[in-house]
Amino acid sequence: MADTTHDWSHHKKVYTIIGVTLFICTGITLALGLWAPLDVGPPGPTPGDYVIGLALAGVKASLVALIFMHLNHEKGLIYKTLVFTFLFFIGLMALTLFAGFDPIKEQYDTLETTNGKLTESIEQ
Amino acid sequence: MEIPYEVTPRRDTGLYNAKLGVWLFLASEVMLFGGLFSAYVFLRVGVQDGVDNPWPWGLNVHKDYVWLGFINTLVLIFSSVGVVFAWVALKERNWRKFQIWMYTVVACAAVFMCIKGVEYNSKLNKHHGIKLIDNSVMEGKIKDKTDQIRFDATEVSFSLQGGIPIFLESIDGDFPTLKLQGGEGEEEVTIESESDFKKWFFDARRQVARDLVDERKRYRGEIADGVESPTPVSVSTSATLVSAEPFKVRGNPRKIVAHTDDAINFRDGTKVTGKLTGDDVIFEIHEVDLQLVLPQNQRDALVWEVIDDEQAKKDFFAEQHRVYEEIKEYYDKKGEIIPEKMLRGHMLNLHYVHLGHGEGHHEDGEHKGDKENGEGHEGDDEVHSSESKPSAKEADLHFSKDHVAITVPRDKIKFMGNHGPRYGNYYALYFTMTALHGLHVVGGALVLLYFVVFGKRIYLKNPEHLANRVEVGGLFWHFVDLIWIFLFPLMYLL
Repeated sequence: MADTTHDWSHHKKVYTIIGVTLFICTGITLALGLWAPLDVGPPGPTPGDYVIGLALAGVKASLVALIFMHLNHEKGLIYKTLVFTFLFFIGLMALTLFAGFDPIKEQYDTLETTNGKLTESIEQ
Repeated sequence: MEIPYEVTPRRDTGLYNAKLGVWLFLASEVMLFGGLFSAYVFLRVGVQDGVDNPWPWGLNVHKDYVWLGFINTLVLIFSSVGVVFAWVALKERNWRKFQIWMYTVVACAAVFMCIKGVEYNSKLNKHHGIKLIDNSVMEGKIKDKTDQIRFDATEVSFSLQGGIPIFLESIDGDFPTLKLQGGEGEEEVTIESESDFKKWFFDARRQVARDLVDERKRYRGEIADGVESPTPVSVSTSATLVSAEPFKVRGNPRKIVAHTDDAINFRDGTKVTGKLTGDDVIFEIHEVDLQLVLPQNQRDALVWEVIDDEQAKKDFFAEQHRVYEEIKEYYDKKGEIIPEKMLRGHMLNLHYVHLGHGEGHHEDGEHKGDKENGEGHEGDDEVHSSESKPSAKEADLHFSKDHVAITVPRDKIKFMGNHGPRYGNYYALYFTMTALHGLHVVGGALVLLYFVVFGKRIYLKNPEHLANRVEVGGLFWHFVDLIWIFLFPLMYLL
């Protein structure tokens, strides 16, 4: 077990670096949202922005989990627990995906297009 | 009793018990928040722009408060770093350093919650929306609680069988002198204060209950005596109070069933008679949102009639055109037609409007959108002025002169409200998720505070025991931070 004889300065350095990285990543996240040149695809939030924003959040979350929560060197039992957690989480998200096949949605989809009538009225 | 494996790991798991415990707990927490994130994805993806209630853009919702969300993220990340440093301090057997870091973390939690409070306050009290009957929406602020119905009352009738009548909480200003309108020969009752009223009301209610019991007894007695057609039970269960001088009533529309020019019916059956002094809503308008109005109908939208400002309308469509060109350019380059989703979305159909051009009303920086709207206003040298025209009824209402407020007739309103959870799916999820997260922050901070305030005893006995406790508390804290890392972009930026 770690105790006073262990040298903790290395750990402190790593934690500081990770902390600063997280700060920088948060800054980038904000810049992606606020600064138009960094906007992917057409103006406004689009699927591309979601992918980038969430990927960045994923990187930050991984850093927190791996370093701060010590998941980079943990006992096997915890990983086993987390594998199940992950599978259940995927299941939860898949429920959303299944909803896409729901026939309820079909009645909406017919309203999606109006044969260019909208463009005409904006352009006038 | 000694609890085993608090410090030393169990041989079979390789972990001290608390650590396995907290990870199992975190696994269940993942499912709790996972369900809500799943709901977010479901509702966000399922929105049909222009058909359903639109999903707002986080940046549009939060405006200046995006920075607060950003600061909160930094505060939480810093506190996460603080927890690991506190843990390291314990490992180094440095109690003083541990204390400093731990108190810093708790302070961060307090700052986080205060900022959250500012944000919630802005949503619940400073931002409102009005949806008109043609589905055009105005965003801004309802002034002076004019969503309430203003009334000069002279008479109130209410039931003596239920709770305190709602009109009591609706009295605006001093309590009037009310007289009970009774039958001839009855004792005259005068009520001059709220406590008077309550006392009288409870007495009268008790009396009615007693009278009813007596009457029923009489009725049953008459039947038992074989009376052929007994007199039906009859007790007056309502009361009417009149005031010589009209007194002001402000009715919350959610508690009113209907109102006319001379009466209000409250939900609990209370009827107030008198004279309507105002039911129009005074609204300080910031944005017009035409996402739910088809582009071909937008120029005739009701909102323009209500705003009655040609220049503002022109600016709106100039801005719409500018954004349209931008989007068109993007899709032209790709050789694609603009998706209708885009045409009906907020980028094209939600813009700031400035009323009373050139009056200097909007110069105080309240309107963050000025910069976004800038291009649409270039060349607006020809200033068109349309001062707001509060109706004569509203003469007694005071509102800030810094902003132009308009009068919105109540019969043109379909829905109005603050940006609370009822305002739409986004807001419902925003409040559910951030409030649940906030509860976790408070809970986590209390646990960490406990460790630093009452931990000295354990520290002196076995510092490794406290270090393990802090590690476990810290794991929870990092998890709370981790959730926020996802919430920030999802709720504030995207």
